[in-house]
Amino acid sequence: MKKKIGVYVCHCGGNISDYVDVEKVRAEIEKDESVFLSKTTMFACADSNQKDMVTDIAEKQLDGAVVASCSPTLHLLTFSAVAERAGLNKYNYIHANIREQASWAHSDDKVGATKKAIQIVKAAVAKVKRSNALEPFRVAATNAVAVVGAGIAGLRSAIQLAESGAQVYLIEREFFVGGRVAQWDDLFVSNETGKELITRLYDRAMNHKNITLFTGAEIIENSGSVGNISLKVRISPRHMKLDCNEGNLGRAIEVCPVVVPDKFNFNITTRKAIYHNFPGEYPQLPVIDMEHCTRCGECEKVCENVDFSQKDEFLNIKVGSVLLATGFDPYEPKDDEFGYKTIDNVVTLPQFKRLVHYCDDKLVYKGKEVKNIAYIYCVGSRQVDGENKYCSRYCCTATIHAAITAKKKYKDLYNFHFNRGIRTYGKQEVLYDESSRLGDIYLQSFEDHPPVVSKEGDKTIVTINDILTADKTLEVEADLVVLVTGMVPRQDNSIGSLLKIPRGRDNFFNEIHMKLRPVETVIDGVTIAGASQGPKNIMESMNSSLAAATKSFSLIAAGELALSPTIAKIDVDNCLWCGKCDDACPFNALTKTDVDGKQIAVVNGSVCKGCGMCMPVCPSNAIELIGYTDDQIESMIDALVSTD
Amino acid sequence: MARINPKFTTELQSYGAFDTNACYNCGNCTAVCSLSDEDNSFPRKMVRYSVLGLENEIQTSLEPWLCYYCGDCSTTCPREAEPGELMMSLRRYLTSKYDWTGFSGMLYKSLSISVIAFVLLAVGVIWFASSLNFEPELLLHYGHYFEMSAIGSVFLLILFPNLIRMWNMVIRKPKVNVSFSAYLKSFSELIVHMFTQKRTLGCDDSQTRWFQHLILVIGYLSLLFTTVFLDWFATNSSFILILGYLESVVIFSVTFIFMIGRLNKKTQVSKNSHPSDWFFVIWLFLMGLSAFVVRLFIDLDILETNIWMYLIHLTVLVQWAVIIVPFGKWTHFLYRSFAMYFEKLKSLSVS
Repeated sequence: MKKKIGVYVCHCGGNISDYVDVEKVRAEIEKDESVFLSKTTMFACADSNQKDMVTDIAEKQLDGAVVASCSPTLHLLTFSAVAERAGLNKYNYIHANIREQASWAHSDDKVGATKKAIQIVKAAVAKVKRSNALEPFRVAATNAVAVVGAGIAGLRSAIQLAESGAQVYLIEREFFVGGRVAQWDDLFVSNETGKELITRLYDRAMNHKNITLFTGAEIIENSGSVGNISLKVRISPRHMKLDCNEGNLGRAIEVCPVVVPDKFNFNITTRKAIYHNFPGEYPQLPVIDMEHCTRCGECEKVCENVDFSQKDEFLNIKVGSVLLATGFDPYEPKDDEFGYKTIDNVVTLPQFKRLVHYCDDKLVYKGKEVKNIAYIYCVGSRQVDGENKYCSRYCCTATIHAAITAKKKYKDLYNFHFNRGIRTYGKQEVLYDESSRLGDIYLQSFEDHPPVVSKEGDKTIVTINDILTADKTLEVEADLVVLVTGMVPRQDNSIGSLLKIPRGRDNFFNEIHMKLRPVETVIDGVTIAGASQGPKNIMESMNSSLAAATKSFSLIAAGELALSPTIAKIDVDNCLWCGKCDDACPFNALTKTDVDGKQIAVVNGSVCKGCGMCMPVCPSNAIELIGYTDDQIESMIDALVSTD
Repeated sequence: MARINPKFTTELQSYGAFDTNACYNCGNCTAVCSLSDEDNSFPRKMVRYSVLGLENEIQTSLEPWLCYYCGDCSTTCPREAEPGELMMSLRRYLTSKYDWTGFSGMLYKSLSISVIAFVLLAVGVIWFASSLNFEPELLLHYGHYFEMSAIGSVFLLILFPNLIRMWNMVIRKPKVNVSFSAYLKSFSELIVHMFTQKRTLGCDDSQTRWFQHLILVIGYLSLLFTTVFLDWFATNSSFILILGYLESVVIFSVTFIFMIGRLNKKTQVSKNSHPSDWFFVIWLFLMGLSAFVVRLFIDLDILETNIWMYLIHLTVLVQWAVIIVPFGKWTHFLYRSFAMYFEKLKSLSVS
């Protein structure tokens, strides 16, 4: 129990003292014999008062301090810092809120407000009497980061981390890196191709000694916590020997009887079960797609590099942090959504972009030359009835860019944009300007009256009530209808489930605070980058990749982590392991452990957040929360309800 | 239901429009236009119809004729899409559509065809004059005879059928229900607007343009009357003589001011000049000036020795009467006033 406590009662200008008799509060508190010093002050947070407090604490050797002022949200950190400057452990400082909880709440009852303030301060004094000096909980941090996903965001993050000095494990589920960007040609504004961007990043990443790339790799197990995360990675084989003879490979692809839709081209073309990378994809090695391979053995006969004996490999790695850059999936329209899959010339924007890639002089789809293209915007985004309420951000710009590209590439092409308001924000506005000057026609409708795609004979007609033409019903005979599909979260969320990453209402990975902590998740040590967090264009993805890389690196940079000491503590004698605490813990911080032949719960200090959920469920009351012990809390309650 | 035709803007460009596609539907032009009201959105509706290529909607519209090109829309357009010039082009387009012969469209769209037509007529006049051995008396006689017959035949063969076509496009085809009495009651509208261009007053802040235009129209019509019916070149009456001089001075002075304006390009309305605008103003100027000089030569008794002067006048006159009046910009004199008349009819049919 402390004997030399200092108490400071703040006027807060008049915010407190207009309703609470601060002098009376001070006088009442002074009666407590543990209170060595008590003062009132006009502004406790003012520099002059902070200096006085430092002098008081240091010279008079105070062993505890209380400031009765505003909400701790405002100034708890201020006065904790004052205590530390004076050489007093910050956990021996207790904050009492008599502004929000007394003067402001009871401005109609000055006597009552004063009485309540006295009890609040008494409770704080009761707690500080029983408080202990605490030191941060320190854990060693492994200087390695697992970057999940080797698209443009993952590659960029990996390079940043490697250059900062961390060991990087770049884990890609597919057999090739490059992600979505590798699938795209010219990009606004530089007109570099996606392939060029990926090639540049891939070369940089592969030339850095700190980066190890795994393709066909997936994290299947995870344990530990920030600073020390253990991951088990499964690496699927390519079933091809690394030194592959290209000539025979061509023959092997030729003889493979299995034909499947090519996902790289969004199913507008097909490939064989044994296939090679596209120019923007790396590494430049072939692979056998075992999901579709029938093991007929034809390829083995013509290519000696085929190796069906290769097996899954498992790898255990230890990292200090995990950076997720798992990207997005393009929205897949429902059957008959704007004629998708029911009308033969309806495609999605990603398919259209691949189509333009393959058509040289004439734009031809399914054997017919395309002259009039109708783009229907916001398909799968800003849905009125569906779940995707969000705007996918990139699609207006991507569509207009694709339309301009097509218009310049092919003769006599006409673009019709059936939109719900064009959002080519920022510099992207110049694209809209260019497109409209090139003669593209923009037609707009509200969300409750979307355009209609219908078939009249062998013609495809798109109809709209155009709000820019006084709601007049207008129609376009379209040779091709392009559904401008937005971004949706990856369909396969296995990594998110494994790491318990919360998802937002849009189902993308959720950050802690969208403005102030935009790349951290509530799972300590796991950061998120790129479109895994929500729709982003490449520029925005790069911003978030670099931010996430920096944030992940900051966790491991010092070699150890200082964590808050206010965590749960198990009373070894009383604990009988019933498992209720484990059920109640939202962070999986408790594990059943054998200690000297007894099964008890053990707290993982680097995972526990000190939320206290385990304490009330413990039947033998074997859990204490450091800094908020039963003794402290009970004494505060006694002080609050005392009537003298 | 209307089908969009993106190729239409290309066609409109041959009538002088440009950058119409730059429009992003902000509506500044409508906000600033003094003609806009709840029922008629000037000029954005026409801009939109043009961008979308809704020809049927444009052909049934009178809006292009009701706009007197103050240019406010073009100066406030943030995209420099020149809505005012688009309205001007639509008037040329409509003139071509009203014209049953198709010559209007050809002349508007092609400068070379226009030049060839002017040259051919000049050659024709000289050939005709040479067949008369450049005999002054005969030339003056046939010149006067031409004037009289040209007025009648141009009106009967070209302008009257074209007005019927205009009526057909804007009243009959869209099934505007107009009673016979409405036609009679609104007739005064036609006369008033034809001779006063009253509507311009609502368009410009400055009324100078209206005043210049008004005295030009009066000067032109009365000179026409003076030469054709009062036979100015052969008159003995000093009243008619002076009247003719005054009228021709008015014509060539006002058109001179207009030409200077088009060269200086200081006002929005004179910034963009289509060849047809130049032909109209130059030929009107030449008409007034050459008529003035011819009469002066007669009074100084030197015309017979300088018959080339009359030949110039006759050439200008023939080109004017055969090209500009039936197929060129002259027609706006009729279409504008008939548009006011038809607009009145439409408003009566609604109520």
